[in-house]
Amino acid sequence: MNRVLSVQDSGRTEAAERAALRTTRDLLIEIEPVTPAVENRDVFAIFESETDLIGLPVVEDGRPIGLINRNIFMQSLARPFHREIYWHKSCIAFMDKTPFVAEIALSIEELSLRIVESGTKTLMDGFIIAEQGRYRGIGLAQDMLRAMAFLQAERNRIVMESIDYGSVIQRSLSRASRQAMRRSLPDHFLLWEPRDVVSGDFYFFQDYPDGFLFGLYDCTGHGVPGAFMTLIMSSFLQGSIREETRRDPGRLLGEINRRVKSAMDQIDHQHSDSTEHHSDDGMDAAFCWYDRHSRRLTYAGAHLQLFMLAPGEDEVRILSGERHGVGYATTSMDQIWTNHVRELEEGAAVYLFTDGLLDQLGGERRIAFGKRRLCATLLAHRDAPMSTQRAALFEALLGYQGAEPRKDDISAFGFRATGDLGA
Amino acid sequence: MNDFHLAPTGETPEIHFEYSRNRLSVAGESYPENAMTFYAPIRSSLAQYLEQLSVDAAVEAHFAFKYFNSSSTKLIRHLIGMLNDAASQGVRVALHWYHDPDDDMMMEFGMDLGEEYRQIALKVSPLETA
Repeated sequence: MNRVLSVQDSGRTEAAERAALRTTRDLLIEIEPVTPAVENRDVFAIFESETDLIGLPVVEDGRPIGLINRNIFMQSLARPFHREIYWHKSCIAFMDKTPFVAEIALSIEELSLRIVESGTKTLMDGFIIAEQGRYRGIGLAQDMLRAMAFLQAERNRIVMESIDYGSVIQRSLSRASRQAMRRSLPDHFLLWEPRDVVSGDFYFFQDYPDGFLFGLYDCTGHGVPGAFMTLIMSSFLQGSIREETRRDPGRLLGEINRRVKSAMDQIDHQHSDSTEHHSDDGMDAAFCWYDRHSRRLTYAGAHLQLFMLAPGEDEVRILSGERHGVGYATTSMDQIWTNHVRELEEGAAVYLFTDGLLDQLGGERRIAFGKRRLCATLLAHRDAPMSTQRAALFEALLGYQGAEPRKDDISAFGFRATGDLGA
Repeated sequence: MNDFHLAPTGETPEIHFEYSRNRLSVAGESYPENAMTFYAPIRSSLAQYLEQLSVDAAVEAHFAFKYFNSSSTKLIRHLIGMLNDAASQGVRVALHWYHDPDDDMMMEFGMDLGEEYRQIALKVSPLETA
């Protein structure tokens, strides 16, 4: 006779198992218990014939009263004279009178906490499963651990799937920009490297008959909160682009700033000691308008500089806008961003970078990649096509970074002014 | 007022505010997950100290960062903003901003601070490391 009447079917598919392992019921092993009337002689016989049985439950009037552990039982009987004394005595002699009893409806998480509290005995011997106090069977700690591992993996999977899908949404929002770049710019590159799956960096590009409007922006944070901010900023940007604003990047930054600050209720709490959370979120950004006829580039920057390398010049020129970011509690509602206008010579290259690239730690002394190394890389590859420059830049950064972890999202955009950009 | 000291961790700098000597030091890296939470007690301690300071006091601050993330940036600026406010009340504040000689980003950040917080005597200097 086999006392194990049934184990929850282990032949289920993995998916069904993941879905099913939620309560103690899923760990139930139905074992025919013994009653206090059963003698130790009989318990011995049971353990002898069923070598897999670790614990034998003792039940009286349907209620669990103890659990006989195989090893303790066998060792006790082996002591001098114990067999003689106890052979015909009730099996309660060597049972654990306070086994851990779990209610069948208990969640796996709750069960695991209680088992840990109840100590090592439960981990070794297993535990009794009861339904409203009435004996149902036993459970094993190893099954509980397996169920926990499944639950954990399942939760991770759900979170990651959610973020992966977030990434699909974020990428689809920039598809039109990438297509417009390809239409308008014969020689350009885009580097968009989220630190995690989604990014707090974002870009846009829109072409018009008389020119194109583009921008790169770096929102507070990275990962999911950063990505939230990019969606907010994209939507404010789209809402701000009109016929009378699209050639005026400074005005666009100002308008987005006002929209962010009112929407996110950013009061000036720079000097308040309150630790209550006010939104202090925003973005660093550079917006530019390029006019095809005049070949003029109008740049406005909110803590994000523009890099230019003209043919025949020995150095990369850097245009700085205002230090103030867009949004943020410390930026005032009426902050103005100035337009800077530069005529682009034939062959001039224009670049934008987010600070994730400039601030990436690396090198022997673990310091930022910085502008000096960046400009040296640009100069070294100045005549190469933009796609090659992108690869060289990324390679230089990764080489510098070495084993240092990536600290932030990284983005860069560059193009060369060629005759084809004209009308 | 008692000195305020926080030992450095992998993500946060060492904070050593020796109020008794009017000397404030911050050194290391700053990239806690929640910078607001980390800096809140530092801000309130500094605020208390500045509050009880007599207007003719002289404060010396030494900031030597290797790295900070963007959310820490705002809070570091905030601390310096508090010193700047105290300076505009008459307290003399000298801020030494240190950077690795090879770190142009950290140097530039210090120079920007100097332009922004005019009440403080700010000195940006490379910190030679062994």
